[in-house]
Amino acid sequence: MTKLTRRHVLAAGSTGAVVALAGTAACSDPGADGATEDLDPSADVDISVGDQPTEDKPEELAAFNERIDEFETANANITVDASTEVWEAQTFQAKLAGGTLPTVMGVSLTYSYELIANGQVPDMTEYLDELGLTEDLNPLALDNVKDDDGNIYSIPTGLFSVGIAYNRAIFEQAGLDPNTPPATWDEVRSFAQTIKANVPGVTPYAQMTTNNTGGWMLTTMTYSNGGRVQNDAGTESVMGDETIAALQLLHDMRWVDDTMGREFLYDQDGVRQAFAGGTIGMVLQAPDIYIPLIRDYGFDPADVGVGALPQGGAGNNGTLTGGTLKLFDAKATPNQLLAAAKWIKFYDFDKYYDEAVALADAESNAADGNPVGLPGLPPVSQEVYDQYLAWIEPHINVPLEQFASYTSSTLELIAEPPAGTQQTYAALDPVVQQILTDEGADIAQVVADANEAVQGIIDQAAR
Amino acid sequence: MTKTLDAAPAARRRKRGNLTRWAQGGGLHAVLFAVPVVLVYAYFSWGPVIQGLILSFQKTNLIQPAEWVGWGNFTYVLADPGLVQASLNTGYFALLALVFGFPVPIILAVLINELRKYDTLYNALAYLPAIVPPVAAILLWKFFYDPDATGMFNTVLGWFGLGPFPWLNAENSAMPSIVLYATWAGAGSTAIIYIAALATVRTELYEAAEIDGAGIWRRIWHITLPQLRNVIFVMMLLQIIGTFQIFTEPFLFTGGGPNNATQTILLKIYNYAFINGDFGAATALSVLLAAFLGLLSVVYYFVTKRWSTA
Repeated sequence: MTKLTRRHVLAAGSTGAVVALAGTAACSDPGADGATEDLDPSADVDISVGDQPTEDKPEELAAFNERIDEFETANANITVDASTEVWEAQTFQAKLAGGTLPTVMGVSLTYSYELIANGQVPDMTEYLDELGLTEDLNPLALDNVKDDDGNIYSIPTGLFSVGIAYNRAIFEQAGLDPNTPPATWDEVRSFAQTIKANVPGVTPYAQMTTNNTGGWMLTTMTYSNGGRVQNDAGTESVMGDETIAALQLLHDMRWVDDTMGREFLYDQDGVRQAFAGGTIGMVLQAPDIYIPLIRDYGFDPADVGVGALPQGGAGNNGTLTGGTLKLFDAKATPNQLLAAAKWIKFYDFDKYYDEAVALADAESNAADGNPVGLPGLPPVSQEVYDQYLAWIEPHINVPLEQFASYTSSTLELIAEPPAGTQQTYAALDPVVQQILTDEGADIAQVVADANEAVQGIIDQAAR
Repeated sequence: MTKTLDAAPAARRRKRGNLTRWAQGGGLHAVLFAVPVVLVYAYFSWGPVIQGLILSFQKTNLIQPAEWVGWGNFTYVLADPGLVQASLNTGYFALLALVFGFPVPIILAVLINELRKYDTLYNALAYLPAIVPPVAAILLWKFFYDPDATGMFNTVLGWFGLGPFPWLNAENSAMPSIVLYATWAGAGSTAIIYIAALATVRTELYEAAEIDGAGIWRRIWHITLPQLRNVIFVMMLLQIIGTFQIFTEPFLFTGGGPNNATQTILLKIYNYAFINGDFGAATALSVLLAAFLGLLSVVYYFVTKRWSTA
């Protein structure tokens, strides 16, 4: 046997390295792009769906998985791979660009126009028509997911409009009627003064200002005063007296009345935590604040109140809508898109038409301590929705009377600014922050500068 | 003449002989051995850098086909009205961190080094903040910085009749508050490096100085600092580069607020990419920042080279 020399070792080593490299190169797969394939509803197809409940919610998870089994039984050619992927603002753009999102999942409705304009969502009209889903959907909601030509790109669900959340216990301590939330901005201001005078140690009125929520709420307040942030076509920034009035109110509540506490860097999570801690009297929120308050923070349901958005000027100006859209993967094949749309119809809409499904869904949610019957805007027509509510009535665990002012509201529902929505909100964050941290801020000038910044965003979006 | 004509083939032969000898001597194998490492490094380390450079000249959302836009992204980010403020904020943070944050670990290291007893304990205590994950530490400090009179810092300062201060909630105190945290968080790990460097200073120097009657300050000024000079220069360069890349603190503490008072370059890059989905603008600003830091490093190198040899 020959002795192993240094040269042998070197030769063996370098040959091995070259072979290994060649191996890894051969393994790389350029990935299949099947967007050119023809639609065949009966062909075998695999899809992935997001929003699967995590294992800490066993009842919900079991119900979700059971629905998948039922769906696969009813559609033998479709295989569903569930994923716990949920929408998160911080990671969404990266995951969308990286192509790692499931075939379909829920995403904030805010992105709708942007995704359509950027070609990041597939045209779903054909598939929704094929399933007869377009007739069922709430036409008001559908407007949020259409382009100028009427093509539909996603399915809106879980809709809401912004209102005002208030702590009923604080209202009682302050001597205010917990069943009468403020209906105008003047009342918000005077209620806040009353709370300050009677309940020490709480922030009478809090405002969100960071992570785009400042701009989001300034837009809402502008709507409530009858103004707009962008024109309807999304080609021009049009903030004016209504935005100035909103900022003037915040300025006066902060610097004249001192009814806004000391924390001016709240975002959605932060303000909800503080509200749950019982230190906030009023804050602009949609009814979905109820979910984390009760489920995550153990807040007493009896203390939650949600009213319609307070109005300025002559009143009855409107409120901002939001919600969830079902985002379909732009790179999915036609068969996958049809299968994914079938899944959404099955999972999100069957409950409105099938009493047994509605009851099973409500039961599993109630068993996991989730709110059932939370007020919101129906993704389907009002008659269908009312019938659904009647079915699940025995399982409704939300104190609906505490939302009475919100649910009885007839305010006009106004969509979000269409061009560069999130960027517009981001650009308006510092505006609100400035008013709350700089007593001498020139509000008219601040709004003029904000118009310039938003116009820049509109121009860049149209580039 | 004949001689010169013959010289070329002879040189070629010699060259070929050299090559054969180099290959037989293991040179070829050495290169082959290096190939995988170089390729992996090129793919995972240089690949993204080059990809980023290419992206900065494109308009892309990585779903639609990319479009070449020339210098469009660069002109857009340079014309962004927020860029000047973000640059000034970043510079302000770097300056504050340099003036107040930079000496702290040196002082800490010298003090610990002077201790004869329990120095390991003090070492561990100084290093402790570095062990706490930044996200947890920042959430903790957010409580400390509570702007209410009942906040932790405000309560303590209240005992001396000071405050309450708004900390992160006012434009002029937000950045200094972040620097205070960053100094607390970063001092320990830097101090460890200085302590290690101090161990290499020969003790005879101190003994000789002591015999000559030098007090502690003169010993530090005339022995410790000159001996640490090269480490200090390197650490300063690393700190400057680090401070220009500040992101986590403003992102978690303030989100860039209030009124953009803590908006930094890196936070802007993040917002371009992950809020706006404008990867072209994000990479364009990253390329500009990298070019600036590269330039800064070169200037720094030449300036400190003169000092360190002086």
